[in-house]
Amino acid sequence: MNTDADHLHEDHKTGIMRWITTTNHKDIGTLYLFLSLTMFFVGGAMALIIRAELFQPGLQLVNPDFFNQMTTMHALIMIFGALMPALVGLANWQVPLMIGAPDMALPRLNNWSFWILPFALSMLASTLFFEGGAPAAGWTLYPPLVLQGGDALPYAIFSVHLLGLSSILGAINIIATILNMRAPGMTLMKMPMFVWTWLITAFLLIAVMPVLAGAVTMLLTDRFFGTSFFTASGGGDPVMFQHIFWFFGHPEVYILILPAFGVISTIIPAFSRKKLFGYDSMVYATASIALLSFIVWAHHMFTVGMPLAGEIFFMMTTMLIAVPTGVKVFNWIATMWQGSMTFETPMLFSLAFIVLFTIGGFSGLMMAITPVDFQYHDTYFIVAHFHYVLVPGAIFAVIAAVYFWLPKWTGKMYDETLGKIHFWLTTIFVNITFFPQHFVGLAGMPRRIPDYAVQFTDFNAISTIGSFGFGIAQILFLYILYKTLQQDVTADNKVWEGAEGLEWTLPSPPPYHSFEEPPKVE
Amino acid sequence: MNKKIKTYYLLTAFTVFMFGFSYMLVPIYEVFCEITGLNGKTGSINSASVIEKPVERFVRVQFTSNVINSAPFKFSPGKKEMVVQPGKIYTTFYTLTNKSNETLLATANPSITPGKYAEYFKKIECFCFTHQQINGNETKELAVQFIVDEKLPTEATSLVLAYTMFDITKQLGYKLEK
Repeated sequence: MNTDADHLHEDHKTGIMRWITTTNHKDIGTLYLFLSLTMFFVGGAMALIIRAELFQPGLQLVNPDFFNQMTTMHALIMIFGALMPALVGLANWQVPLMIGAPDMALPRLNNWSFWILPFALSMLASTLFFEGGAPAAGWTLYPPLVLQGGDALPYAIFSVHLLGLSSILGAINIIATILNMRAPGMTLMKMPMFVWTWLITAFLLIAVMPVLAGAVTMLLTDRFFGTSFFTASGGGDPVMFQHIFWFFGHPEVYILILPAFGVISTIIPAFSRKKLFGYDSMVYATASIALLSFIVWAHHMFTVGMPLAGEIFFMMTTMLIAVPTGVKVFNWIATMWQGSMTFETPMLFSLAFIVLFTIGGFSGLMMAITPVDFQYHDTYFIVAHFHYVLVPGAIFAVIAAVYFWLPKWTGKMYDETLGKIHFWLTTIFVNITFFPQHFVGLAGMPRRIPDYAVQFTDFNAISTIGSFGFGIAQILFLYILYKTLQQDVTADNKVWEGAEGLEWTLPSPPPYHSFEEPPKVE
Repeated sequence: MNKKIKTYYLLTAFTVFMFGFSYMLVPIYEVFCEITGLNGKTGSINSASVIEKPVERFVRVQFTSNVINSAPFKFSPGKKEMVVQPGKIYTTFYTLTNKSNETLLATANPSITPGKYAEYFKKIECFCFTHQQINGNETKELAVQFIVDEKLPTEATSLVLAYTMFDITKQLGYKLEK
């Protein structure tokens, strides 16, 4: 260990400059994960403001305009500030370790793509203090509403440009790493599932992030330079924004979930002590989900007045996605079948992922049915749906990944009992928060509304209590992370008995420069 | 060239292409709407539309108007309704009054309902999308000349032409002529 530490000190700067100038994939992964954790709490605090206001009908805490700013900022920060950096952070740590590469392919670009983020997010958050407040048109930024806001719009748009740029650079780096730097003998079809899902996700990112950049640039020129892309008085069409936005937006939701699938496909086999069932079909299923995501976008806008043929097309293609997704879920279950299962914290989060993500998937299928979607559209039912796939879906996968790889990254084992308590609190409260939202949604409560009819009071109160419980449970998570880093107990090289992959052949923590000699893969 | 750098350039080129593609979606959308008649976009005129001996068939065309938001306009069709023969040219007009004392710029958007018949409604002369400068308290007559295509499916017995008038004086990029 001493030699490693000496090596570490002579090799690079110390203190703050180490983190600012670092080109090491492990340092950058850590930076991404810390930023993500911070933003998770910022976005979470905004969610709690929303829930606190909705505890009772009527307006108690905030005015409607600020409420709308909170829904917009909560979504933008959680998607671009918490979830995407978390997934890129996991990729930075794990992809080189899993494919036996010494670092990412383009280390300087890697530094750059991280350090854009804090500036972009600060710029986005600063709009809260502007006259007229932050953008308040929802994360979808639909015109004409978004064009009627205050001075915040250009700042929000430039920050979206920067956030998108960061993701694109990160994605390019990941593709360049995976395609060029695999250890000898590691063919594409021998890559770990997490690497596969990230390869496909990275292609989605560079395909659709520029489209979002284009859409928001059109908003910018409509507002300030007299163009009429979406302004009806100049011959433009606001519905066209929805088409362009969701051409980005639907692949984007798979960008958020595919790496999560990869994490689950890594953890389930480790704690079932079996190989992943149907590896090839997993790869093909992931690829088909990604391809299908480009031809389903208009299911987000069934109510805009599309022709019948269009609605049927988008309904059918959307339902088709259930097939590859089902393949994945059944493969995970088949992996567990007759395995010697144990239930450590990462496994518990992964099991909850499978159950709760599937609930979110099913409510998605309900909304794919065009005629009934007219009832669900823009109600709390959709809020319940996408929170089920993003919170106990994507976020649970990230938490599971942190518990699974934290002992490898730090060389220290987390407290298993506290981890299990964290799991149970999180899982119980996430359901108390989001399950009742299905009911108020079906009963007709609209989303993005600070006040509601009195018959929705009870379920909203339950939902609010659940959300505060969920928030407190995450403070326990912070404490667990802190306690892990403080203790002296070191973890084995192969932390988990059933875990497989190149990362477990390294010491825990791995040396600052790992796999300088590429390992041999059979 | 280094393989990694080559990958980097290829992917960057793809990113730039996709940014361009987002702008390409705009004309694609326009063309798609024109072909399918979505959004009530009216068809373009061609010589085949006017025919020597129109068939003995009559279609009712109704005219409506809207003024967007609180623009100080009075805007109404000259005739509420016409019964027309497909293949013949007809002319009608709308009246626009500026109720304020200031000179304003106005522009109107057309729309045909039902949208699926929009391509059969062909305008020869129309004030849509042109910027109308109108002085304070002035009244203007705006002419529309149109043909209903004889290919209009027989189940269509009535069409509605709606115009929405916008006040665009304050929008950037438009200047009043002094």
